[in-house]
Amino acid sequence: MIIELAKLKFSYPEQADSLVLDIPSWSLPIGEHTLIHGSSGSGKSTLLNILNGLLSVNSGHIEVLGQRLNEMTSRQRDNFRANSIGYVFQQFNLIGYLNAIDNVQLANYFSKSSEKSSVTEEIKALLNSLNIPKKDWQQPVHKLSIGQQQRIAIARALINKPALLIADEPTSALDEENSADFMALLMSIVDSSQTTLLFVSHDISLSRYFTRVESLHDINQAGAVNAD
Amino acid sequence: MLIKLALKSLHDRKGSVILSIIAMTVSVFVLLGVEHVRHQTKQNFANTVSGVDLIVGARTSSLNLLLYSVFKIGSPSNNISWQSFKKVAENPQVKWAVPLSLGDSHKGYRVLGTTESYFLHYSYGKKHKLLFQQGQAFNNVFDVVLGYQIAVKLGYQLGDEILLAHGLGRTSFSMHADKPFTVVGILAPTGTPVDHTLHVSLQAIEAIHASGKNTYHASKPDKRSELKTDLPPQLSANYPSDSMPSSKSTLTPKSITAFMLGLNSKMSTFKIQREINNNRQEPLSAILPGVALSELWQIMGVLESTLFLVAILVFISASLGVSAMLLSAIKQRSREMYLLRVIGAPALFLFMLIELEALFITIISCALGVALLIASLFFAQTYLASYFSLQISLNIFSLNSLTLIMAMIAASALVATIPSVVSYLQSKRHYVVK
Repeated sequence: MIIELAKLKFSYPEQADSLVLDIPSWSLPIGEHTLIHGSSGSGKSTLLNILNGLLSVNSGHIEVLGQRLNEMTSRQRDNFRANSIGYVFQQFNLIGYLNAIDNVQLANYFSKSSEKSSVTEEIKALLNSLNIPKKDWQQPVHKLSIGQQQRIAIARALINKPALLIADEPTSALDEENSADFMALLMSIVDSSQTTLLFVSHDISLSRYFTRVESLHDINQAGAVNAD
Repeated sequence: MLIKLALKSLHDRKGSVILSIIAMTVSVFVLLGVEHVRHQTKQNFANTVSGVDLIVGARTSSLNLLLYSVFKIGSPSNNISWQSFKKVAENPQVKWAVPLSLGDSHKGYRVLGTTESYFLHYSYGKKHKLLFQQGQAFNNVFDVVLGYQIAVKLGYQLGDEILLAHGLGRTSFSMHADKPFTVVGILAPTGTPVDHTLHVSLQAIEAIHASGKNTYHASKPDKRSELKTDLPPQLSANYPSDSMPSSKSTLTPKSITAFMLGLNSKMSTFKIQREINNNRQEPLSAILPGVALSELWQIMGVLESTLFLVAILVFISASLGVSAMLLSAIKQRSREMYLLRVIGAPALFLFMLIELEALFITIISCALGVALLIASLFFAQTYLASYFSLQISLNIFSLNSLTLIMAMIAASALVATIPSVVSYLQSKRHYVVK
């Protein structure tokens, strides 16, 4: 299992008595590509921030890649996040004033993985395989199209060869055509690198790309629908 | 990577960053400028007189004596008799003695009656002697040597005739109208009160105050009217008997305002000072110019500290401005901060990022401020020298100013902890409102 949750309870400190998440039991096996769908405000992003260690749960068991997150120090969680989890958001995936190569390199900077000398070559190979034209590599990324930015985000997420890739609505800012391109590219690259994929979206039509599809409503017992 | 990120993020926010840098540059300029000018003024001030071991005048406070004898400010409390001067000058420890006689003016500038040895012994700065830009020392009774600024401001040249007035007002009622003086020498600029002084011989002072109506007209072309230049300690026995035989009694100084002494050995300074202070015939005060100068500077110190304090406040406000700019930027950069956290940046990294941005702004501003200061000193140098008699050096890098720059960088880093801590805490809170 790459993720194991049991009796997980979470609420934001500002509203301590309204539970956002209450998950009795849930797990994700290695190598699986899973879609969790849920309407906005159902606690998707909160769950993801718990899985990447940015948020700490009130109580319960949470194990990611065999590490018990709530027993780690925040510094350890920073390292864990840098090394083991790739992350793609809906937008603002990149630092706008840096170019594509710098953005990817930044992610590598925080991890302890891979010898830094060869990393530039790896970045170039990755950008190539993601169909980013060479002339755009040195541009500040805010000058590039959203589609290109999302593809660079994949490169950024995968540069440290994480075991788990988390995608948070990565296609919702894209039009249909770009979205299809993005999904095809994402699936082929996680297949070839054998990365476990946890994909969160409100868009049920993406189900066809995944081996397993779940609804957050089924997982989460908390009735709250007002936090995201 | 941290440095690259900080630089590129500053570059991304050019507009507000450039404004912050300008504000900071101005404050660095003011702070370093005040410090430099303050330092230079102090040096100028301390350099007003050097090579003089003792200044002697009527019994008064050391500050008063210094003010009227060297700075020509205020009035002497009393004159001292020529006998007292002669007595001290004949002391074997005394190498030279230069009498000073004040009390007349020309268009608001003080007239100093002295002897030719004044030009030999008076020195300023690091033992610079007085130099003649044009002409020479006075030779005849009605010769006058001008300080540099007087010649420049009043437009006098060699050979011009000028009138002296009794008293110090600019518009005196008692002009010594029947006794015009001829400009025979103009001194090179010194940056000291000498620049604003007219120098005449002691005999001239006596001559213009002589009550007789027809005392001295004929003697000017007279060869015998040449002055004795060789004064104490080899004070000629017959001085000034053979200088003006026609009007001997009128032109012998009965009293002078003060005199300067050079001693054979520095070791005897305190002994001579004590002897003069204990003089029984006439109450005299002898002061060490260096000591009196530093006493005087202590009084000026209040003004100096006030200026410095204002400069520091200007700098603090500029630092706060930079911090406010960074703080408001953090609000706009919350996505960026969150992203950095997600890809594994520790909260400390964000703290360092903001600190570094503030530091870069300060360092760039310091460099610009220093450049601006040197450039403006370069252009203001001649102006300051001619209007304020301030000799300002271009070299602003003293231990003091370097310490000051370091302190400024440290202070701005300290002030920048405000936005840095905010970004640290914000990133610790983890979740972002979309």
